[in-house]
Amino acid sequence: MATKTIRVDYLARIEGEGALDLEVSDGRVTSAQLRIFEPPRFFEAFLRGRSYLETPDIVARICGICPIAYQMSAVHAIENAFGASVGGQLRALRRLIYCGEWIESHALHVVMLHAPDFLGYPDGIRMARDHGDAVRNGLALKKAGNELIRVLGGREIHPVNVKPGGFHRVSHPRELLPVAEILKRASELARDLVRWVATFPFPDFTSNYEFVALRHPDEYPFNEGRLVSNRGIDVDIRDYDGEFEERHVAHSTALHSVVKRRGAYLVGPLARYALNFDRLPPPIQALAGEAGLGPVCRNPFQSIIVRALEIVYACEEALRLIAGYEPPDAASVPLTPRTSTGFGCTEAPRGICWHRYDFEADGTIRTARIVPPTSQNQPSIEADLAAVATAFLDQPDETIRDRCEQSIRNYDPCISCSAHFLKLSVHRT
Amino acid sequence: MTAPHKILVIGAGNPDRADDGIGAMVARRLGQLLPADVAVLTRSGDMLSLIDDWAAFDAVFCIDAAAPIGAPGRVHRIDLTAGALPREIALTSSHAFGLAEAIELAQALGLALPRIIVYAVEGRCFDAGAAMAPEVAATAGAIADRIIAEIATLRQEAGEVASHA
Repeated sequence: MATKTIRVDYLARIEGEGALDLEVSDGRVTSAQLRIFEPPRFFEAFLRGRSYLETPDIVARICGICPIAYQMSAVHAIENAFGASVGGQLRALRRLIYCGEWIESHALHVVMLHAPDFLGYPDGIRMARDHGDAVRNGLALKKAGNELIRVLGGREIHPVNVKPGGFHRVSHPRELLPVAEILKRASELARDLVRWVATFPFPDFTSNYEFVALRHPDEYPFNEGRLVSNRGIDVDIRDYDGEFEERHVAHSTALHSVVKRRGAYLVGPLARYALNFDRLPPPIQALAGEAGLGPVCRNPFQSIIVRALEIVYACEEALRLIAGYEPPDAASVPLTPRTSTGFGCTEAPRGICWHRYDFEADGTIRTARIVPPTSQNQPSIEADLAAVATAFLDQPDETIRDRCEQSIRNYDPCISCSAHFLKLSVHRT
Repeated sequence: MTAPHKILVIGAGNPDRADDGIGAMVARRLGQLLPADVAVLTRSGDMLSLIDDWAAFDAVFCIDAAAPIGAPGRVHRIDLTAGALPREIALTSSHAFGLAEAIELAQALGLALPRIIVYAVEGRCFDAGAAMAPEVAATAGAIADRIIAEIATLRQEAGEVASHA
């Protein structure tokens, strides 16, 4: 009986610290574990005893790539708890700042982190030497998203302008006009990006995912909607715990989330797209068709096309919101704290980000729970890894390793913002 | 080479991660000491935006922490006018794209400045919330002095070029 080990000591194109162990026995993958071993970050504990007013600035620190997602889920949960509703132009501004986050996050992943996999480059820098225009355009897209966040959020990373009830300050329309000009150009670049990534060679691989995403009556979802799946889930976000549960697993410091009755599920671009295709404007639906996609895409490697389509959507949606923008009378609606529990769930670039808070009468946080998208996707990542490795078992270990790394990057995992190492071990017996 | 007129100083790294804060520490010091027409920035997290930050400048000085290769607090001055970052110097980054990657990408895209000088300080500890090692913190003053002197020299060269024009 022989044991073979392949080790990858450095993977620089995921956010976070993890490792992958594959067990192969009698020509069969018997175990695929994505090990996340970086220490817990205790944000939920930090929030206990703090005022609801501090929440957006604390949760923004969870991620440097998607701080808006954490801020938006938090403020919606707070408003839900205190019985407030934010509508009109304040609601539109929230949607607008979220567009910025999708654009910058997706552009970074599509061009710099994921595209090199398909074109045979070890990283985006080496790819830039041969595909300079594509990389320059990707950086321009990222910059457009960052600019939107800077203007509305006060700064690009860990923005400071979001508050419960709205914003500390709202933009004057003249501040948004230059951004609109940037976004018009970005929308064209994003369309080109869709056409470019659609030409990539994709493995013939599909999986029968349970997709989970928000669904809104009228809109492609950012901030609001019901939690739905393609297998019958259709619940208010406050009923998340009725359908899903988080579980400790020995090999990960991040909790795994599963559908209680079934197991693994998928959140993120593929899920949003499949469950909300009819909410996309017809020109973007047509662009998807041009890129070879139907209303549902089950090939995780083609998530790169869906992300590019969502960049187009975010650019167009941002332009629509800017065109209709009129400054609201007040930058925020007043909130009155009360003893209560509130729920928030919004669509981070990587999928739903669910929050629940219990408050004291004065708005002090008693307990906080945050379920980020990557923890929800962990079981699906492991299922994909097992399936992909099985499909390539007759290939050299190097090929298996490459495909497994690529499979992880299909999910754009944001394991954390603290390190970026992946060690891969394949044990053959 | 054209003598630089517009100069940028960037302190890279996360000030809340122990020795990773040396770049910000030096930048803060330089912000008080350099002439007002020298721009000073601090950056943490994703460094890709540095390529835009320096687009309007002729020369950039970057200060960042590096992984230890023997002596925490040892300072490396790297002039990238002549080429790439040495392999043995690993600038620290908590994100996929740190200072080294931003410079390398800019070079690949033809967006690097003619003069990029990096001061890399070997660190020991990069834990969140931990204090900066004394031997690392102690380098801040000397690095600031060296950069001030280098900028004065560059400015002098620029003046000489202008006077000969």
